[in-house]
Amino acid sequence: MGAGLNTCLPASVKGSRVKYLLLQICVSSRVQVNKAARGPEKFSIEYIRKHAEEFEVGKRRLANMMGEDPETFTQQDVDRSIEYLFPSGLFEKKARPVMKHPELIFPKQTAAQWDKDGRPFHFLFYTGTPSFYSIMHDTFGKVLAIEKHQDQMRSKGALPQDSKQISLGGSRWLLKEELEEVLVENISDQDYSRFLQLMDKLLSLPFCALEEEFVQRFRKQLEIQSTKQEIPDVHCDENGRSYSQAQGRRKTATASVTLRDCGSGRVAVNGKDCLLYFPILQDREQIMFPLHFAGMLGRFDVQAHVEGGGRSAQAGALRLAIARALLSFVSTPAEVETIRQAGLLTADPRIKERQKPGQAGARKKYTWKKR
Amino acid sequence: MAATIASLLKPWTPRLCPVRWSRYNPYYLEPEPRREAYAAPEAELTPEERELKTTRSIKAARANDNSSPYNDPIISKFINMMMQDGNKILAREIMTQTLEAIKRKQVEKYHSGPAAEREGIECNPYAIFHQAIENCRPVIGLTSVQKGGRSYQVPISLTDSRRRFLAMKWMITECRDNKHRRTHMYEKLSQELLAAFANEGNVIKRKHDFHKMAEANRAYAHFRWW
Repeated sequence: MGAGLNTCLPASVKGSRVKYLLLQICVSSRVQVNKAARGPEKFSIEYIRKHAEEFEVGKRRLANMMGEDPETFTQQDVDRSIEYLFPSGLFEKKARPVMKHPELIFPKQTAAQWDKDGRPFHFLFYTGTPSFYSIMHDTFGKVLAIEKHQDQMRSKGALPQDSKQISLGGSRWLLKEELEEVLVENISDQDYSRFLQLMDKLLSLPFCALEEEFVQRFRKQLEIQSTKQEIPDVHCDENGRSYSQAQGRRKTATASVTLRDCGSGRVAVNGKDCLLYFPILQDREQIMFPLHFAGMLGRFDVQAHVEGGGRSAQAGALRLAIARALLSFVSTPAEVETIRQAGLLTADPRIKERQKPGQAGARKKYTWKKR
Repeated sequence: MAATIASLLKPWTPRLCPVRWSRYNPYYLEPEPRREAYAAPEAELTPEERELKTTRSIKAARANDNSSPYNDPIISKFINMMMQDGNKILAREIMTQTLEAIKRKQVEKYHSGPAAEREGIECNPYAIFHQAIENCRPVIGLTSVQKGGRSYQVPISLTDSRRRFLAMKWMITECRDNKHRRTHMYEKLSQELLAAFANEGNVIKRKHDFHKMAEANRAYAHFRWW
């Protein structure tokens, strides 16, 4: 805008007195502001709490608007309603209107780290990642405590041969990303591997069961895989026979199978008998595999339609489809689990390996010439 | 125990499956197709291992394997080793003809010989095959170790899978190379298997030569550092 100017304009010369009008153009000194140095925007706890209350109230209002029960209005229902009320054609899903709890939207931030005098609260503040190092410090403290306990027991002569171990079967360690989320700090790969080494050291001690609760905080429970299996529905046809249908794929072959109960073990593939369609014994063995494993060989009539792929791929696709259809006739979840562990319910991911540039095939190289 | 379980459960961050390796991520466990393994649950599995199996994904069963009692993993391995250019049908055909030929010869011997000897004659071709391969397994092997510019043949112990592989490989190469061009593969194989069952024949001789070489190079045994 320029520096200040004092301009003297001569007034009208009519009178003897000359009035000078002083014009002062407004001054503004430019102040350089570096917005990037402020860091990411910080939201205080009160701000988030206020928005959380608003979110709860808004959720009830939305439920009333949609004519549903506010008590049982889940986040899924909220998303569905927002999509209905504010239809958006934007391709970027993150840019569409969203109504979620503020904890999910605003990034997690740590509380104030130092008091009004600038002195940090945590004694490990100057490490840069105080939460991580405090966990390492606590864990090592526990290791020392357990060793001391072990020495005491040994001196008393009461060292049991088989001490209770923490069961680690159904859980896994938190991944690095999950640990970062818990600590609200960034840690490096080396830090993460040191953390795991220290945890392994803790678990290798005989009396580690004393610190089970502490260890389980850093373990994530894995879900039982057999519960994720989709069991097809059982229908009843006009003759009163129950049947189930399922699909299976292997390489490029697709198979769809109808398994009918109260049958005699006949297998019809694409209208032909399976003995005619699969002259090779191995393919017929593969089709019989799920039925024989479940002990239901002569019980079902199989009607299958298969296309694509080769001989062996079609047999594999049929095997998967029959195994999936068989699940609806299997009685207990333990039986489903044994069928899964036999490898019958996994879709085989192996495909033909692609050819690479500079080579003749997937693995075959061109002739190597020394010069 | 905790250490082995911990090594199995090491966190595996999923990444894109690389092109040159297995299509399964290393988290997947091998399937168990035999029905008998599930009939006796208290046998080998501890509660931890059982929990591990329930929470992990399992690979798909191979086309070789099924729950049939006639399915034998060692015979499947032998068929795969005999297979050329992916012709599994022919390899399996040869195997069945071999087992049939063995059975025929043994049954003929059973009926033609005196009654007193009948107890000693083994008629089950699968038992003969297993025993023959067992007899062909070398106990000690040789490996080349470079020391001071020269490579020495050093005797080392072999793993179980390596021993099985060598036995089968010798059997197959012997039957391919040293046979008259008019004899069929299954005929020659059945002869060789019956000879190996009785601890005679060229394959057993090759195994003994292998042992003798290892014995001869006993002086270099200290070159092994593992």
